[in-house]
Amino acid sequence: MSPQAKKQENKILILATETCAYPGADSVGQAHSTYPANTYILRVRAPVLFPESFYFDCFKKGISGIIVMSCGEECPYEGAFTAMAKRLDGVYKKMKAMELDLKRLRLTAICTVCNRSFLNEVNQMDKLVRELGPPIFKK
Amino acid sequence: MTEKNTDNKKVGVYICYCGGNISDHVDVEEVKKRAEKMPNVVVARTNMFMCSDPGQELIINDLKSGKIDRVVVASCAPSLHEATFRDAIKRAGSNPFIYEHANIREQVSWVHHGEPATDKATILIASAAAKANLLTPLDPIRVEAKKHTTVIGGGIAGIKTAIDIAQTGINVALIEKSSLLGGQLNNLDKLAPSGEKASEVLQELLDQILTHKSITIHTDCEIEAVQGYVGNFSLSISKKSDNKIEKLNIETGAIVMATGAIPYIPFDGEFGFGQHEQVITLQNLIQILKNNKSTGSILEVNGKRIRNIVMIHCVGSRQIPGIHQPKEDGKLNEYCSRTCCAAMLNASNQIKENFPATRIYEMYRDIRTYGRGQEELYTQASANKVVFMRYEANAQPEVSLTRDSDYPFQVKVKDSLTFNEEMDVPADLVVLATGIEPDDVSGLASMMKLPIGTDKFLLEVHPKLRPVEFPITGIFLAGTCQAPMDVGEACNAAGAAAVKASALLRKGFIELDPFVAEVNPNKCQGHGACIEACLKEGALTLVEVDIDGKTVKRAQVTAAMCLGCGACAAVCPEKAIDINGWALKQYEDMVDAIVSDGFAV
Amino acid sequence: MVSTHIKKFDTLVVGGGIAGLQTALDLGDQGYKVAIVEKDASIGGKMIRLSKVFPTLDCASCITTPKMSAAAHHKNIPLFTYCNLTSLDHDTSNEALGVKAVIIQNPRYVDPDKCIGCRQCEYVCPIYVSDEEQGGLSATKAISIPFSNAIPQLPIMDIENCMLCGQCEKVCPTNAIDYFQKPEEFIIQAKTAIITTGFELLPKEDNFQYGSGKIPNVVDSLQMERLLAPHGPYNRVLRPSDGMEPDSIAYVQCAGSRDKSMGVPYCSRVCCMYAIKQAMLLSGSLPLADITIYYMDIRAFGKGYEQFYQNAKAMGIEFIKGKVARIDAGENGSAIVRYENQDGSGIVTANHDLVVLSMGMIPGWNPAPICPVSKDSDHFITSIKPKISPVLTNMNDFFVAGAAAGPKDIVDTVTESGSAAMEAAKFMSNSIMEN
Repeated sequence: MSPQAKKQENKILILATETCAYPGADSVGQAHSTYPANTYILRVRAPVLFPESFYFDCFKKGISGIIVMSCGEECPYEGAFTAMAKRLDGVYKKMKAMELDLKRLRLTAICTVCNRSFLNEVNQMDKLVRELGPPIFKK
Repeated sequence: MTEKNTDNKKVGVYICYCGGNISDHVDVEEVKKRAEKMPNVVVARTNMFMCSDPGQELIINDLKSGKIDRVVVASCAPSLHEATFRDAIKRAGSNPFIYEHANIREQVSWVHHGEPATDKATILIASAAAKANLLTPLDPIRVEAKKHTTVIGGGIAGIKTAIDIAQTGINVALIEKSSLLGGQLNNLDKLAPSGEKASEVLQELLDQILTHKSITIHTDCEIEAVQGYVGNFSLSISKKSDNKIEKLNIETGAIVMATGAIPYIPFDGEFGFGQHEQVITLQNLIQILKNNKSTGSILEVNGKRIRNIVMIHCVGSRQIPGIHQPKEDGKLNEYCSRTCCAAMLNASNQIKENFPATRIYEMYRDIRTYGRGQEELYTQASANKVVFMRYEANAQPEVSLTRDSDYPFQVKVKDSLTFNEEMDVPADLVVLATGIEPDDVSGLASMMKLPIGTDKFLLEVHPKLRPVEFPITGIFLAGTCQAPMDVGEACNAAGAAAVKASALLRKGFIELDPFVAEVNPNKCQGHGACIEACLKEGALTLVEVDIDGKTVKRAQVTAAMCLGCGACAAVCPEKAIDINGWALKQYEDMVDAIVSDGFAV
Repeated sequence: MVSTHIKKFDTLVVGGGIAGLQTALDLGDQGYKVAIVEKDASIGGKMIRLSKVFPTLDCASCITTPKMSAAAHHKNIPLFTYCNLTSLDHDTSNEALGVKAVIIQNPRYVDPDKCIGCRQCEYVCPIYVSDEEQGGLSATKAISIPFSNAIPQLPIMDIENCMLCGQCEKVCPTNAIDYFQKPEEFIIQAKTAIITTGFELLPKEDNFQYGSGKIPNVVDSLQMERLLAPHGPYNRVLRPSDGMEPDSIAYVQCAGSRDKSMGVPYCSRVCCMYAIKQAMLLSGSLPLADITIYYMDIRAFGKGYEQFYQNAKAMGIEFIKGKVARIDAGENGSAIVRYENQDGSGIVTANHDLVVLSMGMIPGWNPAPICPVSKDSDHFITSIKPKISPVLTNMNDFFVAGAAAGPKDIVDTVTESGSAAMEAAKFMSNSIMEN
């Protein structure tokens, strides 16, 4: 039996749009810029797919931070960005009620060559989740 | 070894060394050992280059032997080789959508090193395998399409679109609301910059369209209703003929909006317009020049010798809130009308070249002779001794009647070309360079759910790269219904719209991505939340169905219209709707794999 | 030279910029087989090298990459990059054969079938050369992939500067390095050709009044695009000579356009808008900097352009109407701009930390002597029917689109490319009917 992967703390989930942010993350790779390895990038078509409960389920499962990397106003699905941003407002309200640090969830727009913004976002979130540790649900 | 659930899918995991690009930082053999223990993974293999033929053969052999029925390749970015591996799966006789990609080069080995890289690669593979477990074979959505296009608008853009589409073997119906084809071209004369006669340009196209066997022309027609979707639209039309109204229906595969635009009509009193017959628009001037029979060295209009003409540019265009006075509807035209500068200079040159004794003063904000051959018009006008005076938007020229001069008008202007000196220019004729305004097509637009921009012109999908398409698949636009443009530009837009329509319909059916919403009829309770959330009107509807003798409402997807964005899946309280290939449930399982560290025991 | 292969297609598209890609996609989607021949090592043309586009301020790379990859993955569209044309004409041996092009595939010194685009060669290469993809403002390696989202992802070896140290050959995991690769000639036969050869900027070296390209911080507009791009040479806007953050930036419009003395009497059509766009982007990245645009007329004629211009004015970008007479080097790397002010103050000089020349556009390709298609007095390809179909040339099976037929912005180029595809398709369907 080989040794298993070590249990990793403070995981960050990144929802990256397939037209903008996901290729943006690939561009960071092409530049060989390193960033923390506790980041997990999921390729999504439009983050409007995710209901409020998805975010809380992630936190409950132990995800420490979530970054939604969207296309912003360049979203190829007309109206999807606005609908998703509105949903996140609702998520923030509930996070506040649950006394979850709002900074654990971040919405940002990342373009296909926005290497610096990508690294900034990831490093900031990493710093934050290291300070805060995993989310604790009071109830 | 852990027990495998036999009901589940048989996932094969293939991990690429990428000749050291991955294996220098990720312990590929270790990842393979860990992958073998993941739920539903029946085989894990490694290869120096998965994209090579021997690499692809590994997948093909395992699929053909029935060992696996789902595929995960862990290699470079999906943009490079996702298509390669889907093709390999097709070659093995399987459905290409049973595939999921794990990006362990650009997003692991090139950005992380050592043990964390190996661990992260493991987790990404576990998460891809979790998704693969839920993947189902998908087929492109096939929509039967009528090889027929309807072009709305019989101006130059509509005529050119119809001819072009018909030439590729697709039948065309051209709908025109008036009794005459040609639109605004009927009101033009010599076209800027090179002086082609508008009537001749039009005639050349009319000769083609009137004899074309595949084009049916419907004049005096109004469109009353539009229904359906790409490939299968249906139009209800009423046609006026001999004081009676005839109804007709057209079944069509695609629609091109070529509804044109109208000239701006100044409001009463704008620069004296409507109050003095010697204050005219550019369109009036063009008519005058078209029919003018003056023979001397001075232009005569209605028997009056025109010694001085003042031309005022940007009337009804480039209006600035707070500076310009809106028309009654409160609307300002903030855009540039694009064509008036060249048209005005073209007219000036015609006048100066035929009637050199007539003096011309052009009062402008910026001369926009942007197009090929247009700058020469400007240079030529200067050579023809046209006098240019530049005014600022907030200091518009003022036209007033004179009492003591033998000129009927004087035009006061602050000329910024001569240090803002205020000058009074006497004039026999004032010509307003009136621009282009959008025609009111709000009725048609709301029937077809077409977007209209803040400038009131029809709004394309993307102003750079998709200029002739609407967000509604199967509906296109061309010409001045979109924005001001000249004849050549309108004809280019027509060609571009035509090529899109004919590419869409040429096969008689349309294949669309299978990544659309699907309703689980056993779970749906007909709440309708998805319909409210849907971003694409018409893609989701509530329909009545019979279940156990009872009539109930259920959501139904029109696949041809669905964008696949997932807005519906987020709001369904029953989780009864999801996106094929990109399902919410798949993401939930991926997160489970991530938080459990790749299902580490 | 190796012996000649013949490849047959329906249409040959000359130039793989946005015009060529769009026209090829529109034909490919109709089922025609289309070859794109591109002189550069990657497709994407000028557009992929821009920062953002006006008036939407979309990231140029983000909206170009999908078009590039759509063409690259299209089953009807093979790409021939890094190729030169040595002749392009009707097939003189037999008119019925249509268009014949003789093409040289330049050697990359890398076997395209073996290379996996991993860039190990690039990392190990010890030679730095000026990176023309970054406007010459930074360095790259003597063997490198031209830029991050290049298609194809194949490196080229700069054989002039390579010292044959063999390190790339050693490190390459697939043995793809081939120092002995030779140019290869092949022939393309097609029923139609579409010329989409785009534009170049007039070289600033040609402009004597503006310092012949020798004044340190006077850059051209394409260099500025690189400075503004998120993946530019310095990752932010810095002055090339000393890395200083500029406080005062000037745009000199009509630098070589509307100017008979430069041989470019016509308007280059896009410079007003890109200058305004760059000025807006600059005011975002350098909020304290003063930005001045010296212009003759602001030609914001396209959809949404005038509103964009008015927004720029509202943002505090200064527009001064006046033709810049000359530019001289100032102190500490600055440049002195001398212009005639129209408010009556006469000749005025102003000092700027960085000056951008909005250079005029000239044709990207001169068909003479290898192709008999006709040029106009502006040296762009002649449109024989500028009203009914601006894409028609004097040769009935040759079409033109984009800046090859005169300066043009992206949207007008894309529209015209669709139109050229339509005319080529009509020509081919007519000839089928006649046969």
